[in-house]
Amino acid sequence: MTIPAAGARRGSGAGDGTAAPVSTRAVIAAYARLFAVQGSWNYETMVGNGIAFCMKPLLQDLPEERYHAALARQARYFNAHPYLAGVAVGALARGELDGEDPARIERFRTALCGPLGSVGDQLVWAGWLPLCSLIAVGAFALGAGPLAVVCIFLGIYNVGHVALRAWGLRVGLRRGLRVAPALANPVFREGPAALARISAVLAGLILPLALQRIIGPGRVLAGGVAVVAVVGAVILARFGARATGWRAALGLLAIFVLYSVAR
Amino acid sequence: MPIALYRIDDRLIHGQVVVGWGQPLDLGFIVLVDDVVAESDWEQELYRLGVPPSMDVYFESTRDAARGLATYVSDRRTGMVLTETVETMLELARTAVIPITAVNVGGIHHREDRTQKLRYVFLNKPEEQALREMAELGVVVTAQDVPSATSHSLDALLKACAK
Amino acid sequence: MTTGSLLFSVIPVSLLGAVVGLDMVSFPQMMLSRPLVSATLAGAFVGRPAAGLLIGAVLELIALETLPFGASRYAEWGTAGVVGGVVMAGQPQGSAGALPVAMFVALATAVFSSRSMVWVRTWNAHEARRMRAAIDAGAPEVIDSIQLHGLTMDLVRGFAVTCIALLILFPLSQKIVAVWSVDAVYSRAVVTALAATVAAGAIWTLTHRAARAGWLFVLGLCAGTALLLLQ
Repeated sequence: MTIPAAGARRGSGAGDGTAAPVSTRAVIAAYARLFAVQGSWNYETMVGNGIAFCMKPLLQDLPEERYHAALARQARYFNAHPYLAGVAVGALARGELDGEDPARIERFRTALCGPLGSVGDQLVWAGWLPLCSLIAVGAFALGAGPLAVVCIFLGIYNVGHVALRAWGLRVGLRRGLRVAPALANPVFREGPAALARISAVLAGLILPLALQRIIGPGRVLAGGVAVVAVVGAVILARFGARATGWRAALGLLAIFVLYSVAR
Repeated sequence: MPIALYRIDDRLIHGQVVVGWGQPLDLGFIVLVDDVVAESDWEQELYRLGVPPSMDVYFESTRDAARGLATYVSDRRTGMVLTETVETMLELARTAVIPITAVNVGGIHHREDRTQKLRYVFLNKPEEQALREMAELGVVVTAQDVPSATSHSLDALLKACAK
Repeated sequence: MTTGSLLFSVIPVSLLGAVVGLDMVSFPQMMLSRPLVSATLAGAFVGRPAAGLLIGAVLELIALETLPFGASRYAEWGTAGVVGGVVMAGQPQGSAGALPVAMFVALATAVFSSRSMVWVRTWNAHEARRMRAAIDAGAPEVIDSIQLHGLTMDLVRGFAVTCIALLILFPLSQKIVAVWSVDAVYSRAVVTALAATVAAGAIWTLTHRAARAGWLFVLGLCAGTALLLLQ
């Protein structure tokens, strides 16, 4: 892969071409702030202010003029998956600390935006989260109690969540504007498909058991519900691209409630 | 197979495109039309990392895309054509060897010279004019960020204030 | 739970709604906002965590469909789960209509909370615009204050949504449950059919592109059915 060569180093920290040091305290502070990166999410700058907010501890040792210029640049429009925002925070902070050309930082920032969103959405929202949900619903279906189900879900999910945020910041800080190859990690490339396959088998396994636990005794009724669900899912899958299942469920439920009250 | 979606989105390849539209449409490839990205190896590599291994991304300049669309249409997989700007899509609609019948405005974000139309669409006057010209060419222009969201007609989009 | 005790309980439960509503997007996104968690916690608040877990599991199946892409509009399940959990756990034990009514109020709350997120995001944009000059000057204290402002607004949003939804929907749900006429088993069957339909549709959308996912689902279904028959 070809990434534009590093520009001339200037300013403090990297005058000799070596990476400017970042204190452990600053990294910990930036990591803690990453959990609130979407705190001021809005339709104009999206997560832009959050990126500057998280980067602040990493940049505070820069000379004042460069510090303010860097914060202003980083607070502009940006969007990424929140768990991978650390990649951007680390990489862009490294670029600022090493005195990279601001135009190059901005170009890189723009190009990084979409892929970080796409990779994170595939891995987390469409992969890891549904899988953890299914595991927890499976625990419920097998008779686990409230505390166990909640702990299983939060425990498993957040091992991945916390680790991904930490990895992102670490790899970003280490690789700077050359961070892109890190996104070719097999976890990102092959992970979503692997998670999808595990989710598929798990969904098949737990759905009948979960239905049974919710409905209660009565296999014939559970079978009938399963058939309705399969037919409904096929209809939803066929037309689902332009509909939202939960809103349709709300409409049907409203009719059912009215029926039960009025009859 | 006809291109399933012609989309204007200034974030180019991101979650809404790959997962939001990609999964329900079963996208096999994306044609990313952008004169700058078509010349930039490192940006192409970055965008390639944003799609799953089962999906291809082809990078084309506006001129090459206008000529090459016929080839993409003959592909058996479902495809999407993606541009960053309204101007690029208008140029494509004017010059493509096959007619473009519908264009989706998926995301044009805030800039000082733009006015908010929808929560995900901000337009300046030249962009509004370009969308109108697209409609005059017979293209049905709608705004919709993800498949499950409401689709807004061009008239509704241009009349809309921030929502 | 009586209406009187609801009024007494609405503040702490709304604080729970604030925390899980904040978790959905703003902080810390540890998925406390998933209905399985938020409804169970709400049920525990009312003294019946198992009832909260039941409605939480139903809502979790539905929430499988939600892909919270940053810029799109999607359901906010944290507050919806809390409202569903309180309504479910607040009905007399064994009420036939408790589950469908709890699901109904939770989904109705999700519509409202989804809209409330748009309001907060619009307000955040307004605040960022107001401070534009200071942001462009790279003022660190302004960047922090905008972030804190957004977090506070989202916390207030979660509190307000939960509080308003409970004050309106809890008494209403009690009235509906009192005159509910459909048998408990069939009521649960309708709820389950709806949840399973949305869940199965979501699973198909999420997994169908992966090689052999369809067969793997069928394999799992056979194993699950066999387990069910053996129970």
